[in-house]
Formats: sequence, C-alpha cells, structure tokens
Amino acid sequence: MNEHDQAGLARLRDGWISGGAAFELAPAEWKEVAAASNADEQERRLLAIAAQALDVALRPAAPKTLKRRPPLPVLALPMLPERLRPLLRAALKYAADMRLKTRVAALVASRGFVLHPMDWMPTATDQESPDIYAPWIDWQAGADSEKQSRREHLTAETWDDFYPAARRSALVDLRRSTPALARTLIETKGASEPAEVRLALIELMRFGLSADDVPFLKSLSADRSGKVRDMAGRLLARLGEHGNPTEGGSEDPIAELAAFIEEGKSGFIRRRTTYAPIKPKSQAQQARRADLFASCYFGDLVVRFGKTEPDFIGAWQFGVDDGADLFLVRMIAVSGSDAAVACLADLLVAAGGRLALLVLQLMLRLDGGRMRALIRQILNDAQNLAALNLVEGAEAGWLEWGDLANGKTLSALRAAVSGDNDVTKRNTEQYLETIGFLASAATAEKLIGDIVAAGLPPASPSLSLLRLNAALTENQSAR
Amino acid sequence: MLRGARGLQLDLKTIEALAPDQASLGAAAKLTKRSNWPRLEAHEQLPLIWGECQGSGSNPYRVAFDTSDHGYKCTCPSRKFPCKHILALAWIGATTPDSFARVDQTPDWVNDWLGRRRKPGQPPAQAPARAEGKSIDEASRPQEAAPVEDAAAAERREAAQRKRAEDTRSAVSAALDELDQWIADQLRLGLAGFVDASSERCRRIAARLVDLKATALAGRIDELPARLMALRSEERPDAAIRELGKLVLLAKAWRAAPDDAELKRLVSTSETRDQILTNPDAVQVESDWEVLGEKIETRRDGLVSHATWLLDLGSPIPRFALLLDFFPASAGRRSAAFAPGDRFKARLVFYPSGNPLRALVAERLGDVAPGAWPSFAMDAAGDPLAAYTAFQDGAPWLADCPVILPAGAIALDEREGAWWQAANDPHGIALPVAGSVSQTLLGLDLTATAAVWNGARLELLASQSNIGRLDLS
Repeated sequence: MNEHDQAGLARLRDGWISGGAAFELAPAEWKEVAAASNADEQERRLLAIAAQALDVALRPAAPKTLKRRPPLPVLALPMLPERLRPLLRAALKYAADMRLKTRVAALVASRGFVLHPMDWMPTATDQESPDIYAPWIDWQAGADSEKQSRREHLTAETWDDFYPAARRSALVDLRRSTPALARTLIETKGASEPAEVRLALIELMRFGLSADDVPFLKSLSADRSGKVRDMAGRLLARLGEHGNPTEGGSEDPIAELAAFIEEGKSGFIRRRTTYAPIKPKSQAQQARRADLFASCYFGDLVVRFGKTEPDFIGAWQFGVDDGADLFLVRMIAVSGSDAAVACLADLLVAAGGRLALLVLQLMLRLDGGRMRALIRQILNDAQNLAALNLVEGAEAGWLEWGDLANGKTLSALRAAVSGDNDVTKRNTEQYLETIGFLASAATAEKLIGDIVAAGLPPASPSLSLLRLNAALTENQSAR
Repeated sequence: MLRGARGLQLDLKTIEALAPDQASLGAAAKLTKRSNWPRLEAHEQLPLIWGECQGSGSNPYRVAFDTSDHGYKCTCPSRKFPCKHILALAWIGATTPDSFARVDQTPDWVNDWLGRRRKPGQPPAQAPARAEGKSIDEASRPQEAAPVEDAAAAERREAAQRKRAEDTRSAVSAALDELDQWIADQLRLGLAGFVDASSERCRRIAARLVDLKATALAGRIDELPARLMALRSEERPDAAIRELGKLVLLAKAWRAAPDDAELKRLVSTSETRDQILTNPDAVQVESDWEVLGEKIETRRDGLVSHATWLLDLGSPIPRFALLLDFFPASAGRRSAAFAPGDRFKARLVFYPSGNPLRALVAERLGDVAPGAWPSFAMDAAGDPLAAYTAFQDGAPWLADCPVILPAGAIALDEREGAWWQAANDPHGIALPVAGSVSQTLLGLDLTATAAVWNGARLELLASQSNIGRLDLS
C-alpha cells in the first residue's frame, strides 16, 4: 500500500473511531469504487475496502526492542528418543512435585539421556538436578550461552565465565579430583563474593574434605558472616579439630550436655561402659538439651567422656529415649567425622526396624554403598516402606530383583494391590514410583509383570516410572 | 460372543440390560455396521475391547469397553449412559467378535481411561434385572418400509420443502439487511464506543440474526467481542474495522450467490456429515496427515468448539485440514480423538469451498511413523503471510488461515509480548503471537512453524526445531 492510501486509511480510521460519515476522508480511488446512492452503503463499502487493506496490504512491523533469549545450550548427553517421550510425559505427570520430577530426570540421566526442554526444565535455583543440567539452570538464570561455551576448565582466569550452577558443578568435580586446587579457588575468588555465595562455596568443601583443608577452614574463624564461621567450625569438627565456639566461656556447654548423659556399666564377665540419656525433668530442660545437641560438636562431647567417636557410638544405649537418639544422630551428621558417620550408619542398619530409619538423618554424608545398604534394609523388613521416599541423594537404577523378592517387600506389594484397602493401595502406588526410580531396567520390567498379575490395572499411572525405566534398557541414539 | 482372557462372557442379554432405553438399543443397532468402525481392537489377554466410531462429528468417537465388569468410556457428548456407541461396540463384540483385531497393547487413550477409573466393588448387574421394557430383538428388526408415497403427496412434500427453503432465504436476506443497518449504525456512533460496548451490542444483533435463521453468522458475531478483547486496546479499532468489513463482504457475497454451499454454511446452517460424504463435488484427499494441534473454546452461545488442525505430509505446498466439532458445554469435558503429533494415513472429505479447509475423516487407513515435516515450498519473496494473502483473495470474509512459517524464532517485546520473527528477515516483519509462550521456546531455533494467523495474532500449533517437534497448541 502506498503512502497516499496509508494516509487515507488513517483518516478513515480516525473518522470511524469518533463516529459519523467518513466517506469524504477516503482516497479518491477508494471513493470511486465505493460510490453508491445510499450514504450508509458508501460507508459499508469503504469499510470493506479498509478491512481488506488492513488484512493483506499491511504487515505488522517488528518492534525495535524485540529481544531474543540466548540459544538454549546443548547438553553433553543426547536427548531422550522421541518414541520414549510419551512414557516420560506420563511419568512426569504422575510425579506430584518438583522433587519427584527431578528424580525422573535423574533416572533418565543415569541411562545416558537428557529430557526434552519442553517436557521438563530445571528452575534457575535448582540444586537437586543432575549436574548435566547445569548449563540449562544457568540459562534459566539469564546466563549468556556464548560465554558459557567459551569456558573449558574452571580456573581463576575463567571463574567469571562460569555461571553459578556450572561453577558449583565444576567445583564439586574439582574437589573430588584435585581438592587443593578447588580450595585455592574458593579461597582466592570466594573472598570477594557476598556472604550468601561464600557460604555456598564453603559448603562445597565437604566434598573431599581432608586435613589439608584445616588451615583454610581455621582462617574462616575471622569471617564477617556468622553462618560462614559456623559452617567452617562444623567442617573442622568433622576433621577432629575441636574447639566449640563457646567452649572456655563462663558456662561450658559441653559439660552441661554431658550432664544429660549417664555413664554406666553393663555385662557380667566383660564389663563395658555404656552411655544413656537421662530423662529431662521439665520442658525447659528438654528444650535446653535439644539446643545443646544442636550447637555442640560431637568431637568435643566424646573427648569430654575420654572416648573415641566409634567407641562412644558403640556404647550409646539406643532405644532408651527416642528424642535423645535423634539429637545424637543429627549431631553426628553435622559434626561427626566420616568414620563416626560410617560406624553409626552400620550400627543402625544392622539394628534394623525403627532404628535403621535414623540413618535417614545421615543421608548427605553417606557413601553410595551405605545408602544402598539402608535401602535394602528398608525393603527387607517392609515395615517402613514410606521411608524410601525420604532417602535423598540415592542413585538411580541399581536395585535388583533379589532385593525385592528376598525380603518382605514384594509380598507386601502384592498383598496391597490385591486387597481392598484403598489407603494401603494408594501408599503402594507411591512405593512403586520410588522403586521405579531405584530399580534396574530388568527389575522394573519384572516388577510390572508381577504386580499386574497380582491385580494392579496394567495402565495404572503408578506404573509410569517403572515403565519408563524398563523402556530405558539400551542407550539408543536413534530418535 | 466375546470372551476376554479374564473376563465374563459378553452376550446380547447383557447389552440389553445395560441399555438406558429402547431408543438407545435401536440407535446402537444402526451403528453395528462394520463400515461405521474404522478401528476395532481387542486385547489378547485383558478383557478389553475398543474402537473408533464415525459419529456425526468430524472426529471419530473413541469407545472402550471392559467386558469383565462392563465399565465403559466414550468420547461422544451424549448424556445417555452408556451411549449408543458403547452399546454398538459391545453388540459387535457379542455377535461378530472376529471383527476385532487382536493386539497385545492398549493405545494411550485407553490407558488413560484405565488409569483413571476405579473398578466397581460389586460384580456387574445381572442382566434380567434391568432389561425390562427393552428388547434387543425389537431393536434388531429392520424398520418397516415406509408406505409408498403417491405422486400428489410427493409433489406436496417437495412444494413444502421449496416453500421452507424460500422462507429461510427470505429470513436470512432480512437478517443481512438488519446486519447492514447495524454496521452502518456502529460507524455512525463511532468505533470507540462500539469497542467498549461490543459485548452488549453484538449480543443484541446476534439474537436478531438467530430469530431470522442466520444462525452461523450470529455465532460469529457473538464471538467478535472476545476477539477484540484478546488484543491490546490500541489495536482494537483496526480489528473492529477488519471484523465488521468482513461481515459486509460476507453479506454481499451471500446476496450474490445465496445457494453457494460455503456461504450458506457461514451464514445460516452447515451441511450434515452424510450430506458431505455423499456430495460428489466434495474434494477427497487420501494422504498422510499429522495432527498439528487443537483449539478448544467455549463460546458465548454455550457451545464448545473443538478444532483439530491437520497437516498434509504428502503435499509439496503446505495444505491443511480442519476437523471442527461443536458440542454443548454442559456435556462436560470431552476426550480428544487425536493427540498433537499423531500421524495417520486417511481419506479426508472436504466441505465444498473455494479454499477447502474444513474436512471430515472418511476413512482412516493406519498409523504413520513419526518424522520431520517435508520441506515445503515457501514464498520466494520471503513474505511469511503470502499464503494468507492468497487465502484472502478467495475468501475475504474469513479470518483464520493456517500457515507454515519459515525458519525463525520467538522474541519478546518490552511488554513481554511474544513475536515470531523470521531467521533471515528481509522485510522487518514480525508477527505477534497470541497468549503467553513457554520461556524455553525463546531459546530454540525453529526450522518451521505451523500456526493460524487471524489477521492480528498467530496461534501457534507446532514447530520443527533443532531438537525435534514442539507441541505449541
């Protein structure tokens, strides 16, 4: 449309917006076409011409400020084959919350694939997703993917090229491979970061923590942030470096805590020392005891009794006071040495039953083997299958058929799906989802057949993660 | 008689008992012809049968039946439970079980239903208890032949038909006269006021048009305020000019050719499914089709419009088909017959039109493997809306036109509005996108995009991208 017609159209538009006859405002050629004996008819004809002009002769102009997002980074694993996406979507649909959806992504990543970004995307603040998704997390947070693609290894020079999620992932890798290099980076680059970022960086020191880290962690006792000082103190305590912040003050919290614990003896032939919690006499005492367990370090407590950490754990009388058991386990999770955590986990798993569930408090510090032992223990007695959902950080896809069939779990699942109790059935559907994450592909396939034969409808959505798992048998690259 | 691996026998007495009334049985009997069922399948192990039945809509109805507990599901909008499609499926299962292909996997839509349903605690009702007043024998009996009509009666009947047609034409003509006057009034009163009061004003003229048998036109005018309100306020006057101008053109076109099938469909009423299928002039296309996406809208007149867009994968230039169904909103949510991304071979029959678009699935001939779209020939001058312009040449009174856009991307303006822009845009053209888009889409390169352009906004349907097909509807 030429400028003359455009100007005419603009006049017509203005005329019609305010109302009244607009015929005289039209371009001459339009008036010629629209001429009629009736004034209303002339206006309608002009309206039809204007409508067509707007429709076919004009194109929307791009706003000057149109902004594109940087291209979504390509991840290091191939995308899930197209034919498996319906199964994936079913599993994601059934997953009730972000944590469970992330678990689906973790299972798929463990089999060598990433999800389609239109099916699932981690959020900008996600810290639970598999590391492979770090570039997408940073993209969500507004990272420039060109900058991302420039980086190769995390060094002091490339520090700023890494966005937070990718940097975190790289630092964890570095702490596992060359912890001293990672420590130097945290020390040199972290100092200029705000307290919140410093805290997140110091928290990463727990990976590959060793005696070499002591001088740096001690230097943090002068940090501006109380939270950073606390974190460094707990990490030092795990390394056997004692020194509760309040120790040596007018009041000695370790002595106060020790007063809540009674030393005793047991056994007739080989007398051995035992430690049992003393029942608090009031609510106030109970609260004080909880505070002390939360603020003191385990290393300081065992020194107070003149024992090693494993000896103290072995002598603790579990089951006397459930509350005190829980406080002690949490205390060890925060400040116990790796050896103490391992000793405690082994002891509790061996005890089984409710005590084994206390290991859930240690999840962040457990190695893969002990985590599997805990899961096997839960499956073996099948009394607390709900606890499976609380196992954080477990690996995907390793559970074998024997782990289910040799204990009581399989028979419990069969009984639940063939029974009439709706509550039990609903719970069972949740367990199936969790087992769908933990199971190997072969186990998943076998379990579907078994549980369907027991009476669960074959199309039950609770089987969706198991079905996805079973379908992810081979690492096909074909889409 | 059909027997599932774990089910009960399915017999005619059971179907008789299940039927809500004798009329349902009669209607079901007519649907037991194999030709009504492009798909009939039974599970090898499970007591399940399912099928697709060509109903009165453009999409087939999906019907599933559990032969063990007589649970059922049908996507039709009927308020009778079970509907005639369920009864017909069970009837075929009881009388000609060989009609069912035996398969070992249930389709996703059956899985969805199975996943949602709760099995009844009680066994199925005993057949004789509910069979009173209904007879499957009676329903099976062929209808008595109509009495032979004498010549005079036939003449009277035809004369009455002609009279009715003439009356309808006069009424519609009067309706268009009122519409013309109404449009002139809106221009005289000013479009600013029209935009603000469009809901009330459109409702009034729409009611008049219904009275005068211009039902389809009334439905379109009823939707006009919603189309205006979906735009930014500064765009609404132009949109009003476009919409009202198209109505002027449609009225003029109808007056020039009141017997034109397409114009009658747009102004008064549409043909029935049978009329389309038996119309020798209706274009038929057998090809591979991909479901691009669907759009489900509840209209002001209480109907839900369900549009399913198909892409012809065998055509060298972009060719589309629109399966359009209407059903009462009060019938509740209806399961879709197709899922975006589905591909199938089918023979489609198009409603007669200058730009054939609306169609019916006459025959479904099997599924087609997934894959990328073919490389369609695009406008040499790089105009992404060239197809829209050509479409308008043939039917300037229509608003919605499906298009395939070349390689491009989605970007945001200052107000977070989304725009599609060509990758190598020579003209500075960007097309505004309806609604909000996924943030992820903003980081993807789109190699081709299917969308519906309505003159003001793009309704995205699907894209091909560097990471495969994207469902956007």
